[in-house]
Amino acid sequence: MEVKTNEYHAWVEGTEIHLEGTMRLAGSEAYAPVRTLMEDVLDKATTAITLNLTDLEYLNSSGINMIAKFTIDIRKKGEIHLTVKGSSQIPWQSKSLRNLQKLLPDLDLVVI
Amino acid sequence: MTNRWFGSLDIVGLEDHIVGALDFFDGPLELSWHHCATTSDLISVLCAMRFHLPAQQIKEARHSIAYLSNELIENALKFKSPGDVSIRAAVGGGAFNIQVKNLIDFAAAERFQTTLSDIIGGDPNDLLISKIEINAAQPDSRESGLGLLTLMSDYGAKLAWMFGPVDHLHRVCLETYASLSITGEIR
Repeated sequence: MEVKTNEYHAWVEGTEIHLEGTMRLAGSEAYAPVRTLMEDVLDKATTAITLNLTDLEYLNSSGINMIAKFTIDIRKKGEIHLTVKGSSQIPWQSKSLRNLQKLLPDLDLVVI
Repeated sequence: MTNRWFGSLDIVGLEDHIVGALDFFDGPLELSWHHCATTSDLISVLCAMRFHLPAQQIKEARHSIAYLSNELIENALKFKSPGDVSIRAAVGGGAFNIQVKNLIDFAAAERFQTTLSDIIGGDPNDLLISKIEINAAQPDSRESGLGLLTLMSDYGAKLAWMFGPVDHLHRVCLETYASLSITGEIR
């Protein structure tokens, strides 16, 4: 499973979702292929999911909405533990990733 | 409708050092979207370099300026009536300032004013989390509505809006102003 363009790359390894590059897509419809990829992982996972954002240089507000909704979907499912890997070198992550912990207090935020 | 103001009126006005000014001509959204990203990045480079800052802070300033510019121009492109989008970027008073001007139809202007009335004066972070929860409960919603709240909550941006009078085509001129505090002397 992967979505690849000139600007970004999304792919899955087991239950680890990788988002990489620059994501400035025009609204929820444009994010649908990536959202589908993430939902497929959620449908199949039984215990844990990792969202690896360490090479995601840019994510606009529509993209933030996508990963926030994914976090809430995991909260609703109940039995899945979410780990989010981020980078201290990428400014949007320092500013915005902490919001995910407000949506899912058990979320592990690992900043490298 | 006469002129109506919302938000932090103290940031309105670009009497500072104008760094860049350009107009997006009306065109296909896909092309404008590409220009939006390119323009935001260019504004961030030109404006951040005007501040005396260490390398790491320059990087953060560039990102914040690009993010702010990109979200405001994206909003203008998504919600505008047919017509140009005018952008003015400036630095001054320890801040990056931007004005984005476009036409929107009267009904959209009324809806946006209702939205602004709901968010101005509230705690931006509480509003952001609340909006995320609402969006998650409405999966068919096409617009996230998170851009302005993210700018206020996560970036500490000050924002203001001026709605002009309705013209003969039932359009309103919307001016959006934003200011982002940047630590460092201006060159």
